[in-house]
Amino acid sequence: MRLYLTLPFLVLSSTLFAQQSDDFIPKDAVTVFSFNNISILQKVSMDELVSYDFMTELQSELFDGSTQGKTLKDSGIDFNQKMNIFYGKNPEFELSGFTFGITDKNKLFSVFDDFDRVESIVPGVEYYNNYFNHLMIKGNVGLLIRVDSDQEYLTEMTDSIWVARGFELPWVYDLDEYYDEEGNPMEEGDIMEDMEGIEDGDEVEEIIEEDITEIPDAENDELFKNYYELRDSLESELSRKRLELIVNELFIGGKNLKGVDARLAEQMKHTSDGIFYLDNSRNFKNTNGLWYFQTMFPDLYKDLNELYSGNVMLGDIVLNNQSIDMKLEANYGPALGSIYEELNGSKFDKNVLKYIPKNNSGYFTYNIDLREGYERAYDIIIPILSQEKNPRISANVLTVELLDEFINKDALFNTYKGSMFGTFNGMKRVKTKRIEFFYDEETFEYGEREIESEEDMPVFTLGFSTARPDIPEKVLRHMSRLTSQFKDMGNYWVYEDAILNSLPLYMINKNGLFIFTNDEDLAKNHSNGYGSEAISAKTAKNAKKSGSVYGYMNLGDIINKLPREMFTEERYELLESMKGKKGIMEVTSSATSREKTVYKMTYSFDGADNAGKYLLDLVNTAYILSKQ
Amino acid sequence: MKRLVYLLGVVSLLIGLNSCVDIFDEIILHTDGSGTYKYTINLSASKVKINSVLALDSVDGQRVPKLPEIKEKIALYKQKLEDKEGISNVKVDANYDDFVFKFSCDFSNVTALQNAVRDIVKEESRDKNDPIFNETWLTWDGQQLVRSIPNFKSPINRLKAEDQEALKNGKYISVTRFDKPVSKCDNPQAQINPSKTAVMVKSSTHAVTANPSILKNTITLE
Repeated sequence: MRLYLTLPFLVLSSTLFAQQSDDFIPKDAVTVFSFNNISILQKVSMDELVSYDFMTELQSELFDGSTQGKTLKDSGIDFNQKMNIFYGKNPEFELSGFTFGITDKNKLFSVFDDFDRVESIVPGVEYYNNYFNHLMIKGNVGLLIRVDSDQEYLTEMTDSIWVARGFELPWVYDLDEYYDEEGNPMEEGDIMEDMEGIEDGDEVEEIIEEDITEIPDAENDELFKNYYELRDSLESELSRKRLELIVNELFIGGKNLKGVDARLAEQMKHTSDGIFYLDNSRNFKNTNGLWYFQTMFPDLYKDLNELYSGNVMLGDIVLNNQSIDMKLEANYGPALGSIYEELNGSKFDKNVLKYIPKNNSGYFTYNIDLREGYERAYDIIIPILSQEKNPRISANVLTVELLDEFINKDALFNTYKGSMFGTFNGMKRVKTKRIEFFYDEETFEYGEREIESEEDMPVFTLGFSTARPDIPEKVLRHMSRLTSQFKDMGNYWVYEDAILNSLPLYMINKNGLFIFTNDEDLAKNHSNGYGSEAISAKTAKNAKKSGSVYGYMNLGDIINKLPREMFTEERYELLESMKGKKGIMEVTSSATSREKTVYKMTYSFDGADNAGKYLLDLVNTAYILSKQ
Repeated sequence: MKRLVYLLGVVSLLIGLNSCVDIFDEIILHTDGSGTYKYTINLSASKVKINSVLALDSVDGQRVPKLPEIKEKIALYKQKLEDKEGISNVKVDANYDDFVFKFSCDFSNVTALQNAVRDIVKEESRDKNDPIFNETWLTWDGQQLVRSIPNFKSPINRLKAEDQEALKNGKYISVTRFDKPVSKCDNPQAQINPSKTAVMVKSSTHAVTANPSILKNTITLE
C-alpha cells in the first residue's frame, strides 16, 4: 500500500543545459525528486514553503526570520533550472540536500543569510557554511548538502578507539544480570524467588519501568564527558572527510548520480513537471539490519542481492489545472520480475463488485495469484538457499521442502487465493449497550440497567476470494462450539463483542468470497451483495481493467471523517498533514511483466489553491509517510 | 507526584476522549458522625472509544496506560485508603467490560474521610504546600453538615472545546442520607426526598468539573 501512497511524491521539471543543477546530485543519493517546472512554485511564500515538514527537517537551520514575507521568486533561484531534492543513506553515512540554479547571488544570500563564506575545499567552487549545512556554488548552480555519519557506525568507531586506548566505557551493561527495584544487581536466588509459583506456560507479565538507566551527568563525570568529546570530534571529522570526498567526486571527478545511473539520466530527459527516482536495490544493500547476514553468509547475501538488482522506481508527474497525474514504473531484475509476473497474473474477481456500495467513500481491490507466485518463488529462492552449507539454513531449507511435499497446496491456495478487496463506507451510528443509572425520586436510591446505546463507528468491509468456502466454515463451526459469542445466523456468522470488546464482527461466506465487516446492514440485508445499490460495472471499469492493484479514495470523506482514536500517533500525523484536502484519488496498475509494473495515480481536485500547492502538500504527505 | 500526574493524565485522557461520563457520589451519615461514602464513575456510554484508546500507545503525546497498569493503580490507592485512620471496609468494584467503577468505604467520622483523601493526594503531590490542602470540604457538628468537593486542579481546562462540550452530556449526582429528617439545605439546586432523609443535587459532569463549588451544600437536620 505504501507504494501507492508513495506515488504522490513525484515532482516538477525540465530544461537542458550543460552543467545544470541535475549534474550535481551525489551518486550516493538513493531517492531524488526533481522539479522541472519550478516556476509554478513562484507564488508559494517562503514562509509557507519552509513550514512543510520536508523543508523544515531537511535544513532547519537555514530558515529563521530571513524568509519572512518573501516568496521563492525573491530568493535568487533560477526558475529555468530544475530543483533536485535528494536523500541517501548507507551503513556509514546519510546525506540530504538539494541542487538548484541561481540567477542572483545577492538575493540568494538575503534568504540564506546565516551562511558564511569559508575557504574553498574544491578549486573553482565557492564554499559557504552554516553549522552542519554546506552550500557550494559553481557557476550558476548551487548545491546545498548535509552529511551525517550513521549513528550506529559512529558509536562502533568511538567505542573501538576508546577501548583500544585502554578506557572503560562510561557505562557497562551486564546483560546477564537482573536488577531489583533499587537498581541493584539481583542474586540468582532472588530471581528464582521472584519466579516461585510460576509454572511453565504461564503468561508472565514483565513490567518495564521507565528511567531505570541513569545516564551519567557530563558535567560531573569526566569519563562520560571525554567519551562524548571523542565521539563529537570523530563525528565532525568523519562528516568533513565524507563531504570532501563527495564534493571532489562531483566537482573535480565529474561523478554524479545521473552519470552513474543511466536510468536516472533517461528519466531526467522527460518533459513532465517532475520526476521521481528511488533505487530499491541500493536500499536493500544498505539495510543496516543485514550486516550479520552479510558477514556470516556472504555468498547467500550476494545471491539475494542479485535478486534485487535492477529494482528501481521511476516516476513522472504532470500538473493539470484541476488534477495531478502521476506515473510510476516499478522496475525489476529478471528473477524478482518473474516472481511478480506470476504473482500478478490473477484475473479480477467480479464477485467483489456486488459488495462495494455505490455510496462508498473508498475501496481497493488487490488481485494476486498466490499459488503461482509461491511456485515461482520456491523455484528461484530454494536453489539459492540450498547452496548454503550452514546447518541452520540447511535445516530451514529441509523444513520448507518437506512442508512443500506434505501440505495440500491445492486446499491451502484455494482457500486463500490471494485476491482481496476492502471498502470504507463512511461513519455509521452502530448499536452498543451501556449501563444506565436511574434514581427513585422517592428514596433517591439508584439502580442500574443495561440499555441500548449508539456510537459513531467507521464502517469497513474486508473480503478475500476463496474457492474452498467449506474450510473457513469448518473453522467457524469449531469456534461456535467453543464460545457462544460465535453464532451461525444462517446467511452470515456473527462474533459478538469482537471489535473493541463492544461491537459485533460479521462474517459472510458466500459467492466465492469470505467477508469480514462491522456493517450490520451488509450482513443482515445484503449477504448476497448490494444488488442495484452496488457499484455499477461502468463505474468499476477502471478497477476491472487494472492489474494487480486498484484504489479509489474520496479524500474529503476518508481523511476528514475518520476518527482520531483509530490511529497511532504516526499515522495520525500523516492524516493531519492531509486534513482539509478534498478530491478524488485513483490508483491503477498495469499488467506486470518480467521487467516492470506501471502504476498510475490521478488526483483530481477543485480547490482554490494552485496545483503547485497541492503538489507540495502531497510531497509533504509522502515525506511523512517515508519516515514511518 | 509522578504517579499523581500520571493518574491525572489518565483521567483527563479518558474524560477528554469520552462523550459521556456519569459520576455519582453518596454520603450516608449516621447521627454519631460515622457513615459510608460511595463514589461511582460510569463510562459505559463510551466503552467503544475507551477500548480504542486503550489499544493505542499514546494519544496527544500522553502515554496510554495498559489495563494491568490501571488495575495496579486502583489496587494501590485502595490499599493506601485502607491504611488510613478511621477508614474501613474499603471496596472497589471495577467493571472493565462496561467501564463502570464503584468505590465505597466506611468512615468513623467525616474528618477521617476528609483527612484520608487529603493525605493520599498530598502524598502524591509535588506541591505539598498547595493551599487546597488547608481547605475543609466536610464538617459535621451533629446537627449540620457542610459539604462540598475539593477543587483539585481540573483537567478540564486542558481539553479541547469539542471535548468540553461533549462532557455536558454526563450527569453528576450527589446524594446525602441521614438517620434523621432534614429541615433545610441552602443549595438552590438541592432536592429533599419525601421522607426528608436524603438530599440530592443534580448537575452535569462538565459543570462540576469546571466549578466544583456548585455542589456546595449546608444541610441542617430537624
